[in-house]
Amino acid sequence: MGEETQKSNLVPMAATIVGIRQMTDKEKLFTVRLDNGNGFKHRPCQFVLISMFGIGEAPISISSPPVNSGNTFELCIRSIGNLTGAIHRSSVNDRIGIRGPYGNGFPLEKIEGKDILIIAGGLGLAPIRSLIKHVLNERGRYGRLILLIGAKRPEDILFKEEIAMWEEDHSIEMHVSVDIAAPSWKNHVGVITGLFKYITIDPLNTIAAVVGPPVMYRFVVKELLAKKMFEGNIFLDMERRMRCGIGKCGHCQINGIYLCQNGPVLSYLEARKLQEAL
Amino acid sequence: MDVTIKHKDVDRFVLDLLSSFDVIAPVARDGRFIFDKINSPSEVSAQYNTTILPPVKWLYPDNEKLLEFNLKDINSMKPVVQANKQVLTFIHPCDINAINIMDEVLAEEPADVNYLARRRASVIIGYECLKPCKEDNILCFDKGYHIAYKGYDLFFTDLGERYYVNVVTDAGMEIVNGYDYFIRAGYEDWLRLLKVREDRKKGFKKSVNGDMEMLSHVLKESYNDEIWAIEGKKCVSCGACNIVCPTCYCFDVADEVCPDMEEGSRHRKLDGCQLRGFCKVATGENFRKSAAERVRHRVFKKEVYLKKRFGKSGCVGCGRCIEHCIAKISIVEIFNHVMGR
Ligand SMILES: Cc1cc2nc3c(=O)[nH]c(=O)nc-3n(C[C@H](O)[C@H](O)[C@H](O)COP(=O)(O)OP(=O)(O)OC[C@H]3O[C@@H](n4cnc5c(N)ncnc54)[C@H](O)[C@@H]3O)c2cc1C
Ligand code: SF4
Ligand code: SF4
Ligand code: FES
Repeated sequence: MGEETQKSNLVPMAATIVGIRQMTDKEKLFTVRLDNGNGFKHRPCQFVLISMFGIGEAPISISSPPVNSGNTFELCIRSIGNLTGAIHRSSVNDRIGIRGPYGNGFPLEKIEGKDILIIAGGLGLAPIRSLIKHVLNERGRYGRLILLIGAKRPEDILFKEEIAMWEEDHSIEMHVSVDIAAPSWKNHVGVITGLFKYITIDPLNTIAAVVGPPVMYRFVVKELLAKKMFEGNIFLDMERRMRCGIGKCGHCQINGIYLCQNGPVLSYLEARKLQEAL
Repeated sequence: MDVTIKHKDVDRFVLDLLSSFDVIAPVARDGRFIFDKINSPSEVSAQYNTTILPPVKWLYPDNEKLLEFNLKDINSMKPVVQANKQVLTFIHPCDINAINIMDEVLAEEPADVNYLARRRASVIIGYECLKPCKEDNILCFDKGYHIAYKGYDLFFTDLGERYYVNVVTDAGMEIVNGYDYFIRAGYEDWLRLLKVREDRKKGFKKSVNGDMEMLSHVLKESYNDEIWAIEGKKCVSCGACNIVCPTCYCFDVADEVCPDMEEGSRHRKLDGCQLRGFCKVATGENFRKSAAERVRHRVFKKEVYLKKRFGKSGCVGCGRCIEHCIAKISIVEIFNHVMGR
């Protein structure tokens, strides 16, 4: 049986879990380091395929910003099935596999000097945290930073400590809303689109980044268009089933494009031309 | 330099191939045909009509192993790229064209090294069908895929008591040079070949009314046509059409672990866009919920999306999806419906 040594694009690199932090009852933040010692270059909103050997693979967004210390990166993972359940049961020093990073990532070159408006629902904060932290790291290169964050219940809110820090940071305008809350909750209650009435934007100088559950996009885009934003300045970080990350397995196809390659970030200008996108 | 070979020498040829290669050939099984690995020339049915599964499955097999690992020590993980020296014999032009499409799709970066390795290790011997495999429910002729201009090393055309063998590649040349029953083709043989091909033309007829060049454009205009809901109602989402199609390559990735819980492997399992869960994500959202959307996607993938990306239709018109659909859904009918709008 002939065997070739050429490396398949579907073969992962070995990596080690170097930190685990419980975030909510369903989500944990994993810090991961590649065993080969190489740094990891990525753009905000790119993703990796993580392997739990014996179970399989799943796409997970990189939650940490591009510039990082110690060659590590962070993945915020919700336990929802086989693979995500298994990684939730693992401990520090356990080994996993990593392929990637994949996808186009956020178009940073288009946002220099602009006001950045971020709308993140639920687990959507995980990928977009990479962009938020990038903007904060290079604060001088961008204009206003406006965050609209939504979650089901107060206890579901991710990155609570960071949100508390962002609250104190006067260079950030932030509004948080939950769908349901006890009377002790001091912030907004209601769907995320309810937060738009609290903000004013300069539509010509603003870039919007939207990420959240599939139902959210249409409503948020409507609000942004109502604020007279240009369709090409609205970026949607979208989700589909993904099995390969390399434009072959077919699962992430939206009409003629592969979201794992042409996405996961699409401008609304591109997305509205794809009947299956929104 | 083209050659000929007498019918009576073909068994010897197959026998000689068997001494250096795995030989994959059309074989009769329960009144149907399949491509299978053979052990003796007597198994071969050169006169076959469309096989159940296409020959490309020998280049892109289901459950292909990608990786081996040991759960105790993941540093030992080892990529697996298998590529036996094999000859795919007596391949019809439609199936060669399907392989050509797969070549382009899977070589696009990031390339599929498993497929490309198998492809490089394979010799392809084409076989000219002298009449259509079936009366209807095929559209190879409509698409011009009843002729294959490339994608083979040798190409056999039956001239009566001998075959004309078009020698295309160095690998093909090496094979025919090795055996003395291949005789250099002469002018007479060439004229016979032209005559046979002239006669062959008369047997094929179009299945779809209208200009096939316009098909992809017309389909795009038919995105919201009622045909998708009508066909979607019939479709039981079994995925048979995906399994039998020579240009369907969608897959899933899954691991297997030995009972000792130490040795394991990762496999690519063929998947199908017609199955209900194909676009379902973990939160329960299904991005192609209805069979109507899925049927439309299959047709669009072949005829619109692949065509836009690679400049040619991704359906070679073999008719397998029509033959194996228990709901009697037919892309020929779908094409005729949209063309007749
Ligand atoms: C680009 C991208 C980025 C992502 N980023 C993140 C991220 O940062 N964080 C994150 O947590 N997630 C992220 N996801 C989602 C993540 O990939 C999925 O949650 C993950 O793949 C689930 O895998 P699993 O093996 O745990 O679930 P699975 O085992 O596949 O199960 C998922 C669900 O399907 C059900 N199910 C499984 N098999 C069947 C069956 N045969 N029949 C019926 N139901 C079944 C299960 O009960 C479960 O509810 C991202 C996805 C994409 C595409
Ligand atoms: S879509 Fe149907 S007719 Fe076309 S290549 Fe696939 S199986 Fe053959
Ligand atoms: S073979 Fe027919 S019934 Fe089965 S999924 Fe394909 S179109 Fe639907
Ligand atoms: S994830 Fe496989 S094609 Fe995009």
